[in-house]
Amino acid sequence: MSTAAPPTTAGAALGAGRFRPVQALRRRRGLGKLLLLAVAAAVLIPVAETVWPGGAWPAALSVDVSGPLNGASNWIIDNRDSHWLFVYVLGHLSNAVVLSVRGVYLLLLALGWTGVTAGVTLLAWRVAGLRIAATALVSFLVSGALGMWVPTMQTLALMIVAVLASVVVGALLGLAAGLSPRLFKVLRPLLDTMQVLPAFAYLLPVVMIFGIGVPAALLATVVYAAPPMARLTALGLRGADAGVLEAVSSLGATGRQRLFTARLPLARKELLLGLNQTIMMALSMAVIASMIGAAGLGDRVYQALASVDVGAALAAAVPIVLLAIVMDRTTAAAGGKLGADPSAARPRLLRGWPAWAGIAVLTAAAALAGRLAGSTIWPAGATVAIARPVNDVKEWMVNHLYSGVPVIGGTADWAAHFTNWVLNPLRDGLTALPWYGVLLAVAALAWLIGTWRTALTAVLAMAAIGVLGVWKPSMDTLSQVLAALVVTLVLGIGTGILAAGSKRFEAVLRPVLDVMQTMPQFVYLIPVVALFAVGRAPAAAAAVVYALPAVIRITTQGLRQVDPGAMESARSLGATRWQTLRQVQLPLARPALLLAVNQGVVLVLAVVIIGGLVGGGALGYDVVTGLATGNLALGLVAGVAIVCLGLMLDRVTQPTERRTTGKGA
Amino acid sequence: MAGTSADMSAVPDTAPESGSSPEEQPTVFSVRNLWKVFGPRAERVPEDAALAGLGAAELRERTGCTAAVRDVSFDVRKGEVFVVMGLSGSGKSTLVRCLTRLIEPTSGTLEMDGEDVRAMDRGTLRELRRRRAAMVFQHFGLLPHRTVLDNVAYGLEIQGMGRAERRERAAEMVAKVGLAGLEKRRPGQLSGGQQQRVGLARALAVDPEVLLFDEPFSALDPLIRRDMQEEVVRLHREEGRTMVFITHDLAEALRIGDRIALMRDGRIVQLGTPEEIVGSPADDYVRDFVRDVPREQVLTVRRAMRPAGDGEAGEGPALTPDTLISDAIEAVARSGGPARVVDGGRCLGIVDSACLLNVVARIAQPHQETAGEVAA
Repeated sequence: MSTAAPPTTAGAALGAGRFRPVQALRRRRGLGKLLLLAVAAAVLIPVAETVWPGGAWPAALSVDVSGPLNGASNWIIDNRDSHWLFVYVLGHLSNAVVLSVRGVYLLLLALGWTGVTAGVTLLAWRVAGLRIAATALVSFLVSGALGMWVPTMQTLALMIVAVLASVVVGALLGLAAGLSPRLFKVLRPLLDTMQVLPAFAYLLPVVMIFGIGVPAALLATVVYAAPPMARLTALGLRGADAGVLEAVSSLGATGRQRLFTARLPLARKELLLGLNQTIMMALSMAVIASMIGAAGLGDRVYQALASVDVGAALAAAVPIVLLAIVMDRTTAAAGGKLGADPSAARPRLLRGWPAWAGIAVLTAAAALAGRLAGSTIWPAGATVAIARPVNDVKEWMVNHLYSGVPVIGGTADWAAHFTNWVLNPLRDGLTALPWYGVLLAVAALAWLIGTWRTALTAVLAMAAIGVLGVWKPSMDTLSQVLAALVVTLVLGIGTGILAAGSKRFEAVLRPVLDVMQTMPQFVYLIPVVALFAVGRAPAAAAAVVYALPAVIRITTQGLRQVDPGAMESARSLGATRWQTLRQVQLPLARPALLLAVNQGVVLVLAVVIIGGLVGGGALGYDVVTGLATGNLALGLVAGVAIVCLGLMLDRVTQPTERRTTGKGA
Repeated sequence: MAGTSADMSAVPDTAPESGSSPEEQPTVFSVRNLWKVFGPRAERVPEDAALAGLGAAELRERTGCTAAVRDVSFDVRKGEVFVVMGLSGSGKSTLVRCLTRLIEPTSGTLEMDGEDVRAMDRGTLRELRRRRAAMVFQHFGLLPHRTVLDNVAYGLEIQGMGRAERRERAAEMVAKVGLAGLEKRRPGQLSGGQQQRVGLARALAVDPEVLLFDEPFSALDPLIRRDMQEEVVRLHREEGRTMVFITHDLAEALRIGDRIALMRDGRIVQLGTPEEIVGSPADDYVRDFVRDVPREQVLTVRRAMRPAGDGEAGEGPALTPDTLISDAIEAVARSGGPARVVDGGRCLGIVDSACLLNVVARIAQPHQETAGEVAA
């Protein structure tokens, strides 16, 4: 143990760690991991520093992919009409998509507003009961009254086709993965990862292949929305009660009988949850996909946001939110009714095929009535233009709330302060940090929370960002994510603790969270733009608001699920509430808190990226610009960087035990 | 089969002569040298004498395998209740699953009604499971989304029976297990005991030759467990169906078993009637196991009697050799003198209060050996 004056600082750190050598490391595995990383750093950093001096990502290590990407994109454009892949495969696919969306749209138009409203209301009544039927009725009427009937039908048509396709694709994949353990092993990490990627990342690849238009929008939606269905189908099939399956086998059931009489029925809850999540994600994506050619409500929001017309954006956003609420509540209620007392079932007329036939007949009758009355499109006189009053309110806010409010300042002031005091220093700090420092920090965090595997994935993802040459914008995005994450966690976990402590507070909070969790990401941009104008701060604010409900939920649930025995024993020892919280509840709820962080990161990233639309800049802006200017290489590289960033952030915060249900709903 | 008859010594051949002699009944299940080893390359364990002899921990260390069932041989005869009893981890549940190959045995022979079960193809095996052997599970294994009636009819549905017919049959079974009126309920709305009755009805509905029970009542409250045990005894009395019954509860095994195979670490350590298990434990493990059993309620006077002395053969109350000690105690106490054990008019021996007390107090009698031989 004769340490003869260690020459380097890294050596000093090593020497310090050598006081109680092995035991200390055994006891604190985290310390051991850090020490190992420190050693690696001590060896590698000087090497890196001599080979590539300077803190920025070394040019020698980056690859310019824009040339090949543009080449590929040009090749696709040139060969779209001649190559067999497009003519015989993708062409048919794209035609089928256009035809089916168009067909559904025409059907919806033919039904008229009377038919559609009646049909949706009856459907909601049959599946989910009277209250939700009333919600559906009001929602569709409001959408019409806002003058958004046609865009709503466009979105609905896209949604119907996208959800059907997603469910079929997802269910088939899930079935295969549920029945084959090997496929499950391959698919699970893929699906898990797809679920954490921001929607923006999917836009460019499909545009590259299909060009801007309905097929690209639909495909992006399906790719985004099918994974939850596949995941939950597989999990449901695999999670079936082994005892029941054994009993079924013991009675001599064939494989097919086992699947149809036991496994699938046992997985009904998961299947319906998958359907619910798929619908919600499809809606979220169908709205965003307006950027790549999906007409409808999302397009209206997009156009309005582009000209910062908050009133018009709101008029289109309200139907989106209502649509989301109706779809979510209907499917959720269908899931909740499973296993309910069958003796409490409704009268015979409302069950089985007569009910469905009745719905069809009544819908047709309503459609016919509308047609005879000569009003298939929502009557123009019956609309309420809210854009102007909303814009007036916004004007007033701009004039009175943006700045100069005594004592508290104004919203624009806050945004400026947040940008100047938090976002800018953070961004500059991250950019100034040498690249290997970032990699090391990522490795250390990921390894401490997860395993060496997650750490390796995270580091590789981060390195890929550097190699692609988008280190700087990525650091910008990262700084926004980190700032928004901290705010989200402070607010979310704080609120979660309060909600866990007070039943009354939770009861008040629950419906608010329900609605917030139902809304598509896109919609969150509108109020923040109204409040904070455009820029990076509003993007971060939208991200905070979007991620907050999930964080609050998970925290509350985690704290509530803490073993009551442990709490009771702490109380019986005379612990104060604060002591109980700090020493029992929070440590025992650690997995839930880690999960909250993980979900928070994923959700914040998704919206920070979308914030590129409202001045968030960085990677999201690159995607938007890439799309708007046809510079696919720029957008694609940004998309890949987003994927890498998402992968890194997810892995860094990934606790060993993964969640079973993602966001979406 | 022929090659394994050398190992027949493993099967104790000491069935009692009491009641209808089960030995004359045909064999339903014939199991010889059955092994079930879990782990990589499991088949080498039974083949290799060196490995086969290892203890559980050593075997795991050497091969990574766990032997759940080791070299087990027994016969189940038609109409008997054959109980396999052992603590958790003794391999009894694995053993019963091997009988219908819900778990594939590693080696050994397994016959049902003389047919080689291990050689059956999937279709034949399925037929066996559908019609000849039905199982009742510890955790019921009911389908939560179906009504009681449809759960009971499930086995018939699997067989391909029509809806009306199978529902009629199922309704009969539901009534038979005492659940009439609950046909429309879901399993989740029933108590544990009721759910297990549904499980029992489902097994009975296919009218199987053998009923297999895997710790069916372990998850139930003691009082309900008792009810269910009586239900099984009643069913057995009424229908005389062959049953293989797995349990870890010694009292349960003694109450319903005609013969008991006591398992430990995958082996059968003793196989015999309840009286043999309690009266002549094969080793210290079994002795330890049955220590707390109220012997007077299991053993008969056969084990208590001594040879008749001069003039004793004509006096005192007469008892049959199958009289339980507890009943004999009452008889002796009432008469105030020794009682005679009489079988077919012949006096086999005498029990007096000293003999009976010795049994209860577990004091070996010098002449118990002879009494035991008489019994054998």
